[in-house]
Amino acid sequence: MQEFIDILGEDVNRISVAGALLSLTPHTTEEVSAILKVCTKHRIPVLPSGGSTKSSWGARTLTREQLHRPQLDGSTVILQLGKLEGVTEHSWQDLTATVRAGTRWAEMQKVLANHGQRVAVDPIQPERAHVGGILATNDTGTLRMRYGSLRDLIIGITVVLADGTIARSGGKVVKNVAGYDLPKLFTGSFGTLGIITEATFRLHPLPQQTATFTVRSAEVAPLADLMTTILKSSLSLEQMQLRNEPLGYALDLQFASLPDVLADVEIRLRTLAGAHSIASADDDVFRARERLFTTNSFYTTVLKITALPNKLAALVAGIAHLNSLPNQTAFCVADPVGIVTVALDITDPDVNPNVRVVFPADTAPAGNPAKLAEIVDDLRSRLVASGGSVTVLRAGHLPHTVDPWGVPPAAIEVMRAIKNEFDPQHILNAGKFVGGI
Amino acid sequence: MLTQAILAELRTAVGDRGLIQEPNQLQTYECDGLTNFRALPGAVVLPRTTAEVQKVVRVCAKHKIAFVARGAGTGLSGGALPQEGCVVISLARMNRILAVDVDNARITVEPGVTNSQVTERVKAAGFFYAPDPSSQSVCTIGGNLAENAGGAHCLKYGFTVTHVLGCEVVLPSGEVTWFGSEHGVVDSPGYDLAGVFIGSEGTLGIATRAVLRIVRRPESVQTLLAAFNETSAAAQSVSDIIAAGMLPSAMEMMDRISISACEASVHAGYPDCEALLLVELDGPTAEVSAQMVQVRAICERNGAWEQRLAQTEKERALVWKGRKAAFAAMGRVSPNYIVQDGVIPRTKLPQILAQMKTRSDETGLRVANVFHAGDGNLHPMVLYNGAIEGEEARALEFSYEILRMCVDAGGSITGEHGVGREKQCEMSYMYAEPDLATMLRVRQAFDPHNVANPEKLFPTPRLCGERRHGAYKPHPLEVSGIAEIF
Repeated sequence: MQEFIDILGEDVNRISVAGALLSLTPHTTEEVSAILKVCTKHRIPVLPSGGSTKSSWGARTLTREQLHRPQLDGSTVILQLGKLEGVTEHSWQDLTATVRAGTRWAEMQKVLANHGQRVAVDPIQPERAHVGGILATNDTGTLRMRYGSLRDLIIGITVVLADGTIARSGGKVVKNVAGYDLPKLFTGSFGTLGIITEATFRLHPLPQQTATFTVRSAEVAPLADLMTTILKSSLSLEQMQLRNEPLGYALDLQFASLPDVLADVEIRLRTLAGAHSIASADDDVFRARERLFTTNSFYTTVLKITALPNKLAALVAGIAHLNSLPNQTAFCVADPVGIVTVALDITDPDVNPNVRVVFPADTAPAGNPAKLAEIVDDLRSRLVASGGSVTVLRAGHLPHTVDPWGVPPAAIEVMRAIKNEFDPQHILNAGKFVGGI
Repeated sequence: MLTQAILAELRTAVGDRGLIQEPNQLQTYECDGLTNFRALPGAVVLPRTTAEVQKVVRVCAKHKIAFVARGAGTGLSGGALPQEGCVVISLARMNRILAVDVDNARITVEPGVTNSQVTERVKAAGFFYAPDPSSQSVCTIGGNLAENAGGAHCLKYGFTVTHVLGCEVVLPSGEVTWFGSEHGVVDSPGYDLAGVFIGSEGTLGIATRAVLRIVRRPESVQTLLAAFNETSAAAQSVSDIIAAGMLPSAMEMMDRISISACEASVHAGYPDCEALLLVELDGPTAEVSAQMVQVRAICERNGAWEQRLAQTEKERALVWKGRKAAFAAMGRVSPNYIVQDGVIPRTKLPQILAQMKTRSDETGLRVANVFHAGDGNLHPMVLYNGAIEGEEARALEFSYEILRMCVDAGGSITGEHGVGREKQCEMSYMYAEPDLATMLRVRQAFDPHNVANPEKLFPTPRLCGERRHGAYKPHPLEVSGIAEIF
């Protein structure tokens, strides 16, 4: 404790204790480094924390035992990174920007918009989520089809390893192949390899003008066909998503181009859509994926499914089928690159209370863990042959016996070897990643 | 080195016809596109399958023998330069296209397939493979993965790493595994190992299969050639185009020496000028046409005295032929030259050009410049005459000096050619010790015995100790007479 005070000073805003959890708030990369050195020395587990929008991702439901015992023995450090904030450099003429990891995504975008630019990624809850957490969880939305994923847009990174080593990799230029690409290694590593404290991104200009439409159908097939047709057509497609609704399906489309071109796009789109209902929509419709997290309760199970693009329509139809069964709600949003986010609730007051997942609050609705586990297993077994996967982003009533990551990937041993090199004592976010890393 | 017993094991692995050990045949493999570094391997193997690659790597792992994977040998940084006496694993015979999945826009290939063959194979279905290094007609996908190859169109489409969804890899231990997805599904759970592996220059293993993303051919492509009297005016046009919110698929610049060399070599019909800017826009026809009007106005405003729009596929091909022949064409204007590959923030272009000019005047060495101007990737070519005593050493030092100028300007020592043997000592100019040590942890995780393309990429005391930013010193292999430099 004294060692942490030596680093941060005796400031309740920067050091606070709650039970077994010691909350530390560094202001600089160097302070993160000093804290991690102490943690490594005493083997203190560290949980990095940003905007806390995705802390459930990859985590299992607590067992009944864990709930009734202090969860963590001794002290665990919660590293609050929200004070590492601000866009430190915006080289707008070079279309790059460097930002500290504790900056809220929307704050960063606001600064970049001063020069009509942005990082062309649309993560969930950008008003709360931090750059570092978004990178660590590789959270991307439907802009990805056009602009690529975070790994394609991050060009430099500063990280602090478990032993306090401060390392920079990549740089401030878009094209750079000098050395190993550590920005990619850290993107999606869930805080298990080190703490991201700063990142440099490649930027894109904000679109001059956009036009957004929703096409609806009672059947999924016509919308799937329309998706294919639009991809083949040369319309200036910005983003697209397929989702199920209480009655039927919706395909949301956004086009971005010069104003003249957009007028022509609408005419062509209406021709392509044929007899299907087509309506202008708000840009906000592309927050549908986010709403799967925010409009549902803490008890809702949220899954991330990856699959080949030509499997998406069948998956969305499958989810819609689940939604049609009694006592179940199931909604999903499919990103055409091959990612489906699903929110799943099964309420079942008749389930034997002994098999229920336990929540701290007594008000928790009764769920059906067995049925949920069955659905996850079923999805996994259907997808395995074509390389798909199911990751649990929020367990909800899903029993803790279900591994949030599924069967470890082929290269798990290489992943373990990397973890051992970067964090030999496994103090960083231990157990939160694939194969128990 | 390679004993008879080890050679016998290698022969068992790949068969008689898959093993080369005759010294005169081995000479073919003594260098890659960077011909002034040479070393003779102990043996070359030509496996036909992943299993054969695996057997060879297992032999190397067992005896702790260095191996160097090799594609077409077109690399420009000495990445495929053998270590003296090592085993070179040529992937040339693994050249099948295994599957095309048009529905999902994926193609699965073996590493010996050339870059152009991929596009060729999917052309009829309306697709192309986006990364297009200038050597695309001969360079292989395996080499493209190792170097994270770019090309003129990566400004818009991204590099090799953006287009690889998965790859089968033989690890330095001989284990076979997959990074990313065998089926081409995005976001496979786990660390982004494909992201680290691609561009690792053969130091983390050997790719034996790759699932690539193919891209739908745009409705329209227009290529503009604009002639300027000043390089700075061309550079300003590039900045203005970006500032106007456009993202051309390519923006290339050439200076006078490069233009005349290309003219002499492929007769592309380029105008006679100080700087030539090539801007290519692609996408929906209406959008491309509207943007091209803007681009032309910008060039005009910056003093372009001639603008030609390549209208037909044939005209476009000729324009590009000149650009892509730029390196080879230098032979027309200089007996020898060194190609470099620095990157700078786009806005620093005028500053770096001025610095290069100053140093060129001071050293008396001419520099020809070809740039991927859109992404700040420079290819300065330092021209020299190898017959003049000491000129090569001075040229080499000048070329390294240019790289350091790039780093000082906030850039990088390599945008697409890789570090290889050529630039490994400059790595410590670009990165601090802890940065390099962190990268070495990755290497340690993949290759604890340091057998995969050792002595590349990272600065080593043996190779760089004495030459840290100082004058060029001969390579130890050269001193010992094993390798030659010319």
